[in-house]
Amino acid sequence: MSDLSRPRGLSAISEQAFSANREADWRALEQLLFKPFSTWDVDALARLSPLYRDVSSDLSRATTAGYSGQLVAYLESLTARAHAAMYARKSIRGRRSWGEWFALFPRAIRTHKWAMTIAFALFFVPFAIGLFGSLHDSEFAIRVAPHEMLDNLADAYTEGFSKGRATGEGIAMAGYYVNNNVGIALRCFALGMVFGLGSALYLVYNGLATGAIMGYVAAKGAGGNILTFVLGHSSFELGAIIIAGGAGLVMGWSFVSPKGKSRAAALRAVAPDLVVLIVGAAVMLFCAAAIEAFWSASAVPDTVKRVVGGAFFLALVVYVVFGGRRQRPAGPPSPGTGLP
Amino acid sequence: MVAVARPLAPSNDSRSATRGARAHLDAPLDTDVALETPEHVVFRYRVAGPALRTAAHLIDLLLLLTASFLFGLILVGIALLLGIAHEDSELGKALIGVGLVFLFAVQWLYFAICESWKGTTPGKAVLGLRVVTKEGRPIGFGAAALRNLLRAVDMFPGVFVVGLYLPAFVAMAITGRFQRLGDLLAGTMVVVPERTTNVQPLRLQPAIQPGERAALPEQIRLSPEELRALELFLRRRGRLGVAREQELARVLTPAFAARFHVSQVVDPVRFLSVIYDIASRAGRDEAPAQEFAGSGVAGGPVHSRPPANLLTAASPVTAGPERQGPRS
Repeated sequence: MSDLSRPRGLSAISEQAFSANREADWRALEQLLFKPFSTWDVDALARLSPLYRDVSSDLSRATTAGYSGQLVAYLESLTARAHAAMYARKSIRGRRSWGEWFALFPRAIRTHKWAMTIAFALFFVPFAIGLFGSLHDSEFAIRVAPHEMLDNLADAYTEGFSKGRATGEGIAMAGYYVNNNVGIALRCFALGMVFGLGSALYLVYNGLATGAIMGYVAAKGAGGNILTFVLGHSSFELGAIIIAGGAGLVMGWSFVSPKGKSRAAALRAVAPDLVVLIVGAAVMLFCAAAIEAFWSASAVPDTVKRVVGGAFFLALVVYVVFGGRRQRPAGPPSPGTGLP
Repeated sequence: MVAVARPLAPSNDSRSATRGARAHLDAPLDTDVALETPEHVVFRYRVAGPALRTAAHLIDLLLLLTASFLFGLILVGIALLLGIAHEDSELGKALIGVGLVFLFAVQWLYFAICESWKGTTPGKAVLGLRVVTKEGRPIGFGAAALRNLLRAVDMFPGVFVVGLYLPAFVAMAITGRFQRLGDLLAGTMVVVPERTTNVQPLRLQPAIQPGERAALPEQIRLSPEELRALELFLRRRGRLGVAREQELARVLTPAFAARFHVSQVVDPVRFLSVIYDIASRAGRDEAPAQEFAGSGVAGGPVHSRPPANLLTAASPVTAGPERQGPRS
């Protein structure tokens, strides 16, 4: 028999009865959610699922029945908190192992090889211009880099490295390189958001300045010294800058040309690769900082330094070209955005 | 019950009642984003806008600058203590290196690590903000790293971690979820998870008198918006002065009085309370405890009798519970 005094869609249960009946469950869920998720025991975990489902259906019920706004808001916040605990971010695949990261990095580089090639050109063409410009005309370098820095460097390299470098100064220089170079690379990546132009300009400027400095020092006669100095770490450092710049170009390009997706979706599609590239570039720069601080300025004979530097370079090329080529079974994609 | 005091937010009651009021109506408030869970239940998060986020960032900056300053003091103190505060000391240079690494960590690692660990930084936590993905889930390391790497672009023009954040404000104005460029890339947003406590439904005190009931028509039906509006008003009564109460009630009373054919209203506030009470409890009785299949909750409420003249005694729907009495 229909009850005409009750509009259709409303529940026959009054809000008071509904609240009183379900209050205990809601308080139980609140108690559960009060502690951080990682401290829960097995019983708590077992209770979360039924409690969450029941509270979700309570929320639907309260909304449809038109109960007071306070109650609906309370149930919403409870559901939201339980939802956050229930659907935590860990994917089924689990944490990636170190071996997987090692393989992912060269694969990400190869996936975006066009961006990397363009970044390479954007760095080394101005580098060559700066180098030959400085060799040819010493006024050139002064326009690109500050004069005092150039003089300091020229003096330092003319001296040579027979004295080596003490540990304390090594730590200081390591700190300086970390602060300076990693920051430059990360900024180079971030500026790619400006349609890729930011990264491009950063690469061009850094290439030009680096080439100009090397040309200037070489023109002063310390070319051999500076070459020995940079050979050890330059493959890591310049490689990392190029990778970071390439990642910035990838980001900027997906923003400019989203190919049918929305721009936000295009960015998110490329985001997992960007994480791998940036983390890899940062690690390379940390290595470069350590090498530059302790090895490059040490009193080891020049020949050894050159050989080791060449070996580093070859190893890096082999890693990028051949690394991660063995087919690993692809795991299930992680939920949500796919970011690790 | 956990209630978190948030100094910058308006009072809990009216705000949450408003949000609850919009549940299944036309459009949600535009600072709310609706999320559907896999159970097909919709809940809403309030998204934090530029003002809240700026305030949180300023708190973080204060924290960082203080920490850097203290760290610098400690280093200088160590240097002075060990007598190595001069140019040629190796340990002194090493300390400088440590200081530089600390500055790097402050600029690039602080935000990313805090957000990937807890989803919030101390500055955000003070204001009750949290970073979640667009689907409402907690974020991981990749998302936290990306959104903070792009801080270098978002904060243009600026240096270190202090900047004007012009691109960030522009992006937040354009996107629907107040996302800055870093949020766009990482697919995240910053929300204010509200923690409300449950309050009792409104009860009419004193209960409806027979005379009042007789003056009103048999059926009183209000639309959901009208019910919410009345609820909002009635919940705020305690904070309004008597004169203000009456003034607000007199705004609504003529419309309802005309609709229900009530010629003369003595007390507008009482009139609104009565029609709210009748309309919100229309056709509802107290259910026996067995009706609810909860997850093993035992115990039922003490049933109060509904107004007798709303329901006929012969109706089989209501006769049952009244005869059987309260259950335990």
